[in-house]
Amino acid sequence: MGNAKLYKGSLNTIILKLLEEQGKMYGYEITQKVKELTKGELQITEGALYPALHKLEAEGLLDVEVAKVENRLRKYYKLTEAGVKETKDRLAELEEFIRSMQHLVNPNWSIN
Amino acid sequence: MKLNQDQIQELYIFTRKHFVEHYDLQTELVDHLANGIEQQLEATPNLTFHDALNREFKKFGIFGFQDVISERMKAMDKKYRSLIWRFYREFFKLPKIALTLFLTMVYFSLLLLMAPEDSYYVFMGTLLVGLIPFLYKSWQYKKRLNKKARKWMLEEMIFTQMGWFNIGLLPMHIFNLSINSDGLYLNQWFLLGLSFFIACFFILFYVVVYIIPPKAEELLAETYPEYKMA
Repeated sequence: MGNAKLYKGSLNTIILKLLEEQGKMYGYEITQKVKELTKGELQITEGALYPALHKLEAEGLLDVEVAKVENRLRKYYKLTEAGVKETKDRLAELEEFIRSMQHLVNPNWSIN
Repeated sequence: MKLNQDQIQELYIFTRKHFVEHYDLQTELVDHLANGIEQQLEATPNLTFHDALNREFKKFGIFGFQDVISERMKAMDKKYRSLIWRFYREFFKLPKIALTLFLTMVYFSLLLLMAPEDSYYVFMGTLLVGLIPFLYKSWQYKKRLNKKARKWMLEEMIFTQMGWFNIGLLPMHIFNLSINSDGLYLNQWFLLGLSFFIACFFILFYVVVYIIPPKAEELLAETYPEYKMA
């Protein structure tokens, strides 16, 4: 799938954006949501999602919370203050990128 | 269909079999697999638990949990290093900086007092004698850790990752270098720098072996919200 590569570079931004919208989410929920939003174009394997989450956590952008749900423990991720700021920056960057790409591909098109 | 407690336990065993040794990562993966399995069983009720598990595991790709494990290690390593730095930098601020400077001056005086030929051996000796208690302590920690049934990745790093010992040999190489070039050895600024460097190394060992491990409980609870729950 050609688009997979394009999406891949934006996985972290997608995760941050999702958490910004949803508040807190757990891993499985994120995989399902990403698949739903990208209509299956971004096949993020579970093998790629968790490393991305752990990396963002180590960078101090995500905070974790654990809750007992039914008979098991569930780990939730949410944005830290630094994470909120980073999300804004990354989204702005992404938007800028989309703008330039659009300009390149179709000079008459406008994102607004 | 919701999974029962036995099935959850089976998932823990499954992750262990697939080389996920640490409880923190096991817990996250167990919840993930359980969610996936539950969803599959709901969609296809005649599927067995094990078939659903296999399907769910396949989604992790041909290397299974390997990528997740190695990336988690990297992330935890980063966390561990940031912990070391948190305690280490105290030695460069008041009041502890006095100790750092004192140690530097002790080494500096020692280096100045000795003839270059003798000081090399005496110096190596003090370095080795200084390292023995560190090695003993780390051996003790390792033994204690091996007895624990539930392993936490950061805990293992705190108690066994004293790969820092290799770096500990670095001052010796520098010393070798200084011996081989007479001019350098006679330069007092070089000796002062070397003394400071050695003092910093000893403090680093001290932090890694004596300051962080006793605080492990507190640091683990801070890192893993599930630590106290488990």
